Amino acid sequence: MTVTEEPVAPSRAGTAPISATGLRKAYRDRTVLDGVDLHVGPGQVVGLLGPNGAGKTTAVKALLGMVHLDAGTATVLGRPVGDTAARRALGYLPEQFQYPGWLDGRQVLEVHARLIGLPAAERPGAVTDALRLVGLAGRGDDRVAGYSKGMQQRLGLATAVLGRPALVILDEPTSALDPIGRREVRDLIHALQGRGTAVLLNSHLLGEVEQVCDHVVILDRGRVVHSGSLAELAAGAEVRVTLDRIDADAVAVLQGFGRIAAQDTDTALVALDDVSAVPALAAALVSRGHGIRALVPLQRSLEDVFVDLVGTTGEGEGR
Amino acid sequence: MTVVRLTLREAANRKVLLVGGVISAAFLALFWLGFTVGFDQAATNPDDASEQAAAATIMTVLGLYAVQFLAAFMAVLLASSAVAPEIDSGRLHAILARPLSRTSWLAQRAGTFAGLAALYIVAMSLAVLGIASAVAGYGAIAPGRAVVLLALEVVVLVALGTALSVRLSAIAAGVVVIALYGAAWIAGIMELAGNVLDNESLERIGVAVSLLIPSDALWRGASYYLQSPAFVAVTSVEDGIPFAGNAAPSAPLVAWAVAYAAGWWLLANRWFRRRDL
Repeated sequence: MTVTEEPVAPSRAGTAPISATGLRKAYRDRTVLDGVDLHVGPGQVVGLLGPNGAGKTTAVKALLGMVHLDAGTATVLGRPVGDTAARRALGYLPEQFQYPGWLDGRQVLEVHARLIGLPAAERPGAVTDALRLVGLAGRGDDRVAGYSKGMQQRLGLATAVLGRPALVILDEPTSALDPIGRREVRDLIHALQGRGTAVLLNSHLLGEVEQVCDHVVILDRGRVVHSGSLAELAAGAEVRVTLDRIDADAVAVLQGFGRIAAQDTDTALVALDDVSAVPALAAALVSRGHGIRALVPLQRSLEDVFVDLVGTTGEGEGR
Repeated sequence: MTVVRLTLREAANRKVLLVGGVISAAFLALFWLGFTVGFDQAATNPDDASEQAAAATIMTVLGLYAVQFLAAFMAVLLASSAVAPEIDSGRLHAILARPLSRTSWLAQRAGTFAGLAALYIVAMSLAVLGIASAVAGYGAIAPGRAVVLLALEVVVLVALGTALSVRLSAIAAGVVVIALYGAAWIAGIMELAGNVLDNESLERIGVAVSLLIPSDALWRGASYYLQSPAFVAVTSVEDGIPFAGNAAPSAPLVAWAVAYAAGWWLLANRWFRRRDL
């Protein structure tokens, strides 16, 4: 999958592609979205993470006007949710995708090209471009009924990137793909980012999100349990401190910054109350005359963080 | 118009048009054969003009009865799968993420199905009347009005089927519309029997069911216009054709049928706009 550097479809300059606050949705007595805030800036790739049933797909559908919200406000490409004009510069791959089996791949894309109002003269080129982008260049004239599940998903990706939209929303875009296909999708997202397209990636695959997103929102049971950059998320909440000697004074200093999780004669593992306090901790140790041999903030994998935040699976608790 | 084009392509590729066309051609060939044989037999007595008129009228009206039956089922089957399967399969989500309102999508889809069913019944009615005219010189009271009423009947069924397909699965929506269509048919017979037996209660039940679903009432109105003037002039209510009307449809009935179709369409649109997809 290769992408050339060409400008994306016009959107209102400076407008956040997605800005949503306090999204709330309940089905009968079951709350699916409970005050969700979600923001995607221009050119930003945001991962929406969460266990099955956390409310990710409902949030995406709400942004597309397919699910009616009980409360909250949201704009997509500067227009209120449900405004059809905003969808001119928006590409979407649904989680559950199926395309008319009686059409060939090219015809499916031509239907979408008409729907987004591409001029007739530009349609063939845009269709070819989209097919090439997702690795279906040689299969565009085959009927969709003969496509494998993975090929249908690629076709879905092609419809999502057709016409160079300003915002692309991908709901579990690699669910039907093999490892090579997954890698190609990651490359595609990088390429979209490279040409300034904002991407909201809805996924429960941590590795996928880790490799392409610069910002993540983690949902659990309809609530946002974390929103921030990946660096922030994965940055150590723990720091390993190696001094000349861990004495009572050093312990007192360290305890002023958090809990000592483990300790021996010269090294302590400190769970910090404030992740950003590492420089202050260093300054405090030095000012008390302790020689610092090493001060290492520990990186945690996204998986560790995710499991800590979400705990047990939310399946059945939301939708 | 993109959705209209897509829907037509769907109908073509799902063999609806091909199968419908083949069955219809077979039906017309059969009708031509039966009509020719039957009319020739009636014409063996050239002095009895009323017998010839009766033979031609009965065969034409019953032939068109079969046509409206085929068209009604086509309308029900198309409309009852208009919405729910599109949502369940996920085909609709990709389409509605485009700058296309739900109302526009539904109008184009249901409109295409209504147009196909109406076009079918108009073409088939004209073909049957054309055969009757060619073989027997048959002329109906008001074929134009009859065809309009038949088209209105399938539009009513498409509107009802579409609305139900927003709320129910394709099978459930189809079953409900066919059950209502059947109830209307029985009510039509009850109304006819009430008329013949001079039983007002039976007639009232028939009228009440016609309000619930006016499909059979529209057919009976159309079937009156499809009869030949010579046959109507000499036929009493008791001797009329079974399942066919013996009077022109009332203006309130036609107005009710139009309002009924419009009402179901508005309800379908309201339900669809409010529904979570």
